[in-house]
Amino acid sequence: MIRPDAELLLDISDLHASVEDQPILKGVNLQVRAGEVHAVMGRNGSGKSTLSKILAGHPAYRVTGGSVRYRGDDLFALEPEERARLGVFLGFQYPVEIPGVSNLEFLRVATNARRDAQGRDELDTFEFEDHVHEKLKVVQMDPAFLERSVNQGFSGGEKKRNEILQMALLEPVISILDETDSGLDIDALRIVASGVNQLASPDTASILITHYQRLLDEITPDYVHVMAAGRILRTGGRELALELEQIGYDWVDEQLAAEGVA
Amino acid sequence: MVKSVLAPVQERGQVNLEKLGLPSRREEAWRLADLKRLEAMASLPPAEGVVEQSWPAVAQAVTRLVIGTEADPLETVQLPEGVSRLSDSELEQALGHTLDRCGCAETWPVELNHAHSRHVVALRVRGSVAPLEIVLAAGSGLVSTRVLLLLEEKAELDLLQVIPAERDHAAPPLAHSHVIEVHLGQEARLRHGLLASASGDASLLAHLAVEQEPRSSYDFVSVCRGWRFGRLEPRVLQVDGQATTRLNGLAMTGGDEQFATHTGVCFQGPEGALDQLQKAVAADRSHSIFNGAIQVPRAAQRTDASQLSRNLLLSSRARVDAKPELEIVADDVRCAHGATVSQLQQDQLFYLRSRGVAADEAAALLLKGYCCEVVDRLPAAAAPWLTSSAVSDPARPL
Amino acid sequence: MTSTSTRDLVSQPYKYGFVTEIETDKIAKGLSEDVVRLISAKKEEPDFLLQFRLKAFRHWLTLEEPDWAALGYPPIDYQDIVYYAAPKQQEKKASLDEVDPKLLETFDKLGIPLSEQKRLSNVAVDAVFDSVSIATTYKEKLAEHGVVFCSFSEAVKEHPDLIERYLGTVVASNDNYFAALNSAVFSDGSFVFIPKGVECPMELSTYFRINSGDTGQFERTLIVAEDGASVSYLEGCTAPMFDTNQLHAAVVELVALDDASIKYSTVQNWYAGDENGVGGIYNFVTKRGQCRGARSRISWTQVETGSAITWKYPSCVLQGADSVGEFYSVALTNNRQQADTGTKMVHVGPRTRSTIVSKGISAGHSSNSYRGLVQIGPGASGARNYSQCDSMLIGDQAGANTYPYIRSQQPDSAVEHEASTCRISEDQLFYLQSRGIGFEEAVSMMVSGFCRDVFNQLPMEFAAEADKLLALKLEGSVG
Repeated sequence: MIRPDAELLLDISDLHASVEDQPILKGVNLQVRAGEVHAVMGRNGSGKSTLSKILAGHPAYRVTGGSVRYRGDDLFALEPEERARLGVFLGFQYPVEIPGVSNLEFLRVATNARRDAQGRDELDTFEFEDHVHEKLKVVQMDPAFLERSVNQGFSGGEKKRNEILQMALLEPVISILDETDSGLDIDALRIVASGVNQLASPDTASILITHYQRLLDEITPDYVHVMAAGRILRTGGRELALELEQIGYDWVDEQLAAEGVA
Repeated sequence: MVKSVLAPVQERGQVNLEKLGLPSRREEAWRLADLKRLEAMASLPPAEGVVEQSWPAVAQAVTRLVIGTEADPLETVQLPEGVSRLSDSELEQALGHTLDRCGCAETWPVELNHAHSRHVVALRVRGSVAPLEIVLAAGSGLVSTRVLLLLEEKAELDLLQVIPAERDHAAPPLAHSHVIEVHLGQEARLRHGLLASASGDASLLAHLAVEQEPRSSYDFVSVCRGWRFGRLEPRVLQVDGQATTRLNGLAMTGGDEQFATHTGVCFQGPEGALDQLQKAVAADRSHSIFNGAIQVPRAAQRTDASQLSRNLLLSSRARVDAKPELEIVADDVRCAHGATVSQLQQDQLFYLRSRGVAADEAAALLLKGYCCEVVDRLPAAAAPWLTSSAVSDPARPL
Repeated sequence: MTSTSTRDLVSQPYKYGFVTEIETDKIAKGLSEDVVRLISAKKEEPDFLLQFRLKAFRHWLTLEEPDWAALGYPPIDYQDIVYYAAPKQQEKKASLDEVDPKLLETFDKLGIPLSEQKRLSNVAVDAVFDSVSIATTYKEKLAEHGVVFCSFSEAVKEHPDLIERYLGTVVASNDNYFAALNSAVFSDGSFVFIPKGVECPMELSTYFRINSGDTGQFERTLIVAEDGASVSYLEGCTAPMFDTNQLHAAVVELVALDDASIKYSTVQNWYAGDENGVGGIYNFVTKRGQCRGARSRISWTQVETGSAITWKYPSCVLQGADSVGEFYSVALTNNRQQADTGTKMVHVGPRTRSTIVSKGISAGHSSNSYRGLVQIGPGASGARNYSQCDSMLIGDQAGANTYPYIRSQQPDSAVEHEASTCRISEDQLFYLQSRGIGFEEAVSMMVSGFCRDVFNQLPMEFAAEADKLLALKLEGSVG
């Protein structure tokens, strides 16, 4: 839903970043307003995942230039947990397994940290149990997964559902979903997508990072961005995604060559 | 000519042996050793006589060197292209260097070897060369053999060492003392096999010291069987990490034999890898010992080491001692080790028997499967030996 | 990008480091046969006990201090230690009301209230201050069930037959250097006797407190569970902060007869010395349980967080057929602490089973070793052992060593050992942080997740405590 007067949630300006001194992002510009759904597409190595890690504050990624403002404030001044508490959510492409740490406890601690930042009361163990069972329905997840260690032994699909469950619990303002569709069969994809759709609201926004059109069949984007060589090469509406499905990414090389980048 | 280099080594060995005295049970490394047998082997007269009849013909493209006899092993052999013998001055400089680095210069088995060494085969390897086979041979008595290998940068070699000591049970006692030093230059690769098969009153003290430079690869496979008293000590040092070490061993003991494998791997730099599998089978009244040390000091970040010790105990009078030792001072490492002691899997035995295989045959099949995991990794040159009568089939039931 | 480092945070001081000002009856420093006789006389012991002590002392003189553990410390001057110190009060009081209020206050401050009003409702406590037991709660209630729970000295007076029958039968007075020393000079400790068929109605607990700066603590604990009896026992330990080292050499003996079960838990938080390794307790302890009867069970759970040096291998001798031994351990070392700890599982009887779960966490410049022995004797057909030893390294200055020793002489048995080393990965931390969980909380969640298998074994009242203790100990060590 595009509303030009909606709150500007995320303002990325000329963002440069590197990993192990290897420059990956080379001038990304992107504005996201409340209510919007953005899709960021592009080939492997184009910088999509780096962008998501930078926004969430992964310690291995280094910002080398530019700025990101979240609701007007400098995002980079915040620790990863502070970002999460203020409503920035990253759905991981590869959610890590944490043996020994109970999923239920993890979800409760995280939820309460967010609630605390929102000035809401923390939920005690019993209240949280009810709360989480309600949210499980969003992703049709088996309650048995609450009793296990965080992501340990989960299948790819189960891990992604666990990610969306966290999104449902944390009620983020802006969600960045990094290749949430990768490794999912079509049923799991629908469940995950329907979860994301249920959680959408006019006050929140999301950025979907994906390779494929098929996720966008389920979640309709307002904007589609094509990333290449560390920046956004082209922006369009939902029809751009369909076009990409037809013509592929070869034009990217031509354009980059013409610009003398590649 | 080699003798002039060895004379001071012998002398020093004799002095140090006197000084050290026989190892005692108070020393952790010898706590379980049958010291009477150690003493007996050390006091054997110098070796004599070799029986070669049962040795298989040399495999194609393989060069065979025989050490242990009085004759200079290199005299009658044409070395493959890329392999050359060290000059006396080079030898003088290189001999003992790796032993020192690996911290085993003044250990008792090494000094025993020094004191009695008559020959050393010292070779330099350049480029990728044809396979070598070194046969350590003796009829009876104590024989000391020594090998030094320098693999230059990017050199590649397949080396098989065979110790054929299958003899009549009434034959006089035989004892092998062997020391090999190997230096692997950057990106060098060595596939190293040791096939040591004995019967009767035979003892073995084999000591390996291996230095690996970055990106080198050392792959050691040992198969030892039938030694009344045996001790195999591979020591590997990754001088700057970043190298790959693979150790695979099989030790089979029957009768009243005692065989000990003491391995040590030390990473002195980052990103080294170790993949180790030690297997042992103990039958009758035999005693099998494994001690495996891994050291990961602070400089060795991102080391990836795994060690597995698997032991089969086939008789209620046999005994297995397994002692992995892991010492780590680096936080970003992956080190896993495991050890198991059991008999053959009853459910597997039952499965085979339920398909009509007789119990002892089923056990033999399972034992063979157990052993093959190591035996099959020996260098190709081992194949003719494995089917000859010079060594016993390692997988044959004990 | 995340620059938070708990190194920057103020390290939590050791909160049990205070000294109680109280008049004590101390004997002069030094150890001799006269000192052994003096201790025995002060305690008005029967002759068999004096003979036991003297035999141990004479044997100790012939022994050398062991040096095989991965530990380094300056030589201990055994003549520079006080072997007996007791708060001055005439007799052990029949009622708590008569105990010196300063002592009650001390235990209050340690979180172990003893007075009628405040004491824990389901845990009986024996409080040991320096060399003597000052109070035992719920004695009467336990007596109704036939359970004896009292200080060792009282037991010597009131149940000399039981002491004579069981003392030194699991850990002989000549077992090892420190056990011999303890046998010669032990001052007090706890005695537990659970008669046939009785399930002890409450948790039993002994709280050890070293107060004097130059006093060694040598306590002796003996727990006997007769046929079909069961008991859960917990010990806790703290000491004031001194910049000298104090010696603690305890002996614990457990005896389980047919179908009996003893669960022994320890939360050890002796003073560990400061961040430069000055001061702290030298903890040299011999703990051994004997599953004497068929189907008996002994379970050790330990959370070792304190002491400058820990040398401790709670073990099980599995003699009875089908008996079970368990060892669950968390050992955390930080700063300059050194721990060499593990267990021995000696399988003697048929179908005996044992489980070992050891979690070592090394931080700072500390060194943490697991040393274990699993021995399957020729008579232990059908025996099973499973061991798991995991190490977690925090920072690149700490050491983690693993020495698991297996000896088997029985083909019809299975021994399985697994060990791994891990650290808290940056990715795992980031994942937790990206869900709003603070850095420190994320670390402590991961550490307690790592230790969960062991904490699950602790009595409920103490599991949360152990969790908190660990988090506290790690503060300032993760960067």
